Amino acid sequence: MTDVLSCTRCASPLERGDFRCAICSLPTPVPATDATATTEVAAAVMRCQGCGAAVAYDVKVAAPKCAFCGAVTALETPDDPLEQAEAYLAFRVDPEQAKAALRQWLSGLGWFRPPDLRSAAIVDKLEPLWWAGWAFDAGVTVSWAADSNAGAGRSAWAPHAGTFALELSNVLVSASRGLTEAECEALAPGYNLADVSEAPEPDSRARVEQFEVQRSAARATIARALTNVAARDAAKHVPGSNIRKLSVAVVPERMSTRRLGFPAYVLAYRYGDAVYRAIVHGQNPQFVVGKAPWSWARIVMIVVAAIAAIGLVAAIVAFAS
Amino acid sequence: MGASAAAIDSGQGASLSLRCDGCGAQIHVAVGLRTAKCPYCASPAVLERPADPSRPDPTFVLGFVVTKERALEQARAWIRRPLFAPGAFRRAVPSDVRGLYLPAYLYTAVANADYDAQIGENYTVVETYTTTDSKGNVVTRTRTKTVTEWRPLSGSWAAYVDDIVVTASAGLPNAELEQVEPFDMRALQRFSPTAISGWIAEDPSLTKEQCLTLARTETEAAIGKRLAGHMPGDSHRALEYRWKTQHEDLELIMLPVWVLAVKYAADQPPVRLVVNGQTGLVGGRAPLSWIKVGVSIALALAAIIAAVLFAGSK
Repeated sequence: MTDVLSCTRCASPLERGDFRCAICSLPTPVPATDATATTEVAAAVMRCQGCGAAVAYDVKVAAPKCAFCGAVTALETPDDPLEQAEAYLAFRVDPEQAKAALRQWLSGLGWFRPPDLRSAAIVDKLEPLWWAGWAFDAGVTVSWAADSNAGAGRSAWAPHAGTFALELSNVLVSASRGLTEAECEALAPGYNLADVSEAPEPDSRARVEQFEVQRSAARATIARALTNVAARDAAKHVPGSNIRKLSVAVVPERMSTRRLGFPAYVLAYRYGDAVYRAIVHGQNPQFVVGKAPWSWARIVMIVVAAIAAIGLVAAIVAFAS
Repeated sequence: MGASAAAIDSGQGASLSLRCDGCGAQIHVAVGLRTAKCPYCASPAVLERPADPSRPDPTFVLGFVVTKERALEQARAWIRRPLFAPGAFRRAVPSDVRGLYLPAYLYTAVANADYDAQIGENYTVVETYTTTDSKGNVVTRTRTKTVTEWRPLSGSWAAYVDDIVVTASAGLPNAELEQVEPFDMRALQRFSPTAISGWIAEDPSLTKEQCLTLARTETEAAIGKRLAGHMPGDSHRALEYRWKTQHEDLELIMLPVWVLAVKYAADQPPVRLVVNGQTGLVGGRAPLSWIKVGVSIALALAAIIAAVLFAGSK
């Protein structure tokens, strides 16, 4: 087991190949080299490792290049690999349970949906998949400033400011291209992040969604998510019922991120001639999100009844007066 | 590798005399530079020295991306731009193009500030006023007016400050470096002598303490800018802040810049232009043509006087 180095400024774990801490930009310790330290002043000619000729930095190849044999010497740059899932949450819902969860969800959508939706919906396709996402933990110092109606004078707004410490644990950030952000947010609370394995279950037919982003882009996405979470939490600290112009500054510390595959079922179901999509959680069948048809007959009926009721009330008032 | 160094003074400034690693001839490395070229075998050499805390080795380097041809192109376009520059300057051809690695410090810290400000919250009032209509009658009318209510706000603010870059060279002042910033720090490379081989590379000529002072000055301005963006309300005024930094870090970095000289008149010193070797951004101070400035002011005054006379004649 290798020791995980932490940043000495913000205590966030450092990743191999980083030159600077991804959270606070403090340079990482320089790895020790085998080269013996120079003991005297010398004019050293940089040599090509292939032919031994002198090497100079060539702007056209943006690297040191040997003028004799053309060999290019690579310089040490920070690693920026494509993100890869490091663990997969286990499927705890089987396909039949997923179908049952869909029917249960369809029957609970309310009176404005077709009355036969649960029985008439036909599942066309059910695809299990691990969608890609990150889960992060961090301690954050949040400074906020905002306008609210609390303490307002002649204007409807008064300024407020404050700071607070926020502990974030297992905040999920979607990297999925198949699922929308709203779908991932709806599913997120149902995941048990302790129920993981390092590789997908071998007998699983589930598709594994790839991250398709590099580490640097991933960090930018996660940093934005952290600021958004902090802003949402800061809104709770602003006094009053109306808020505007909320601004936050964050100082994250101890930020650790895991790259995970989250289990879910993507279902396509048919009702009448139309096809709708729904996502069923892969661990907790109570979490279902998707689209469903409306019963326009019922909606029209309610509108007509409302108009009739208003007309009736108006007639009674007119008659009484 | 090389033989021990001997400091000599050739009459054109002190230099170190070192044995060329390639052909054994003597190379004179000017004091303050990290690189040299052997005059006999043209081998590019990089100075290697024992570790010395007063003269730290660079931590990072940003490689050149902009070629000499593109730097010249960018400089030529820049020279043609200033309208009030002498015609000879705008027609001049930049010369003496040198690509050099400029020593600079990269500063990061945690910044904390306590601030006080007046926040402007707008509201509208309907006011009544009297005026004269087109028929000459005095009439009373109403209009909606936006009024600002000023409210005090005090608070604390904390954030990471990163990518503050300040010069470590007495030859290129920080104001000139700021003109060609920013540099893209995502392209940082770990410093290696190979990265600067074949190019002019300076040693820091400002002390770390001097650079820290420069960095803190830039940090104060950066905090002020970020605090201004942090303020709520429709507007703000009288923003004052007391700030401090913690966990400061300064790292020596080599920045790629092209330096050009523009000679446009025999009796004037050449104008120095700096081109960012990573982005191609050009910085410099174009000379003013006082004739052009004087003629422009005279024309503007004439236009104003004509407008006033025209208005008075109606």
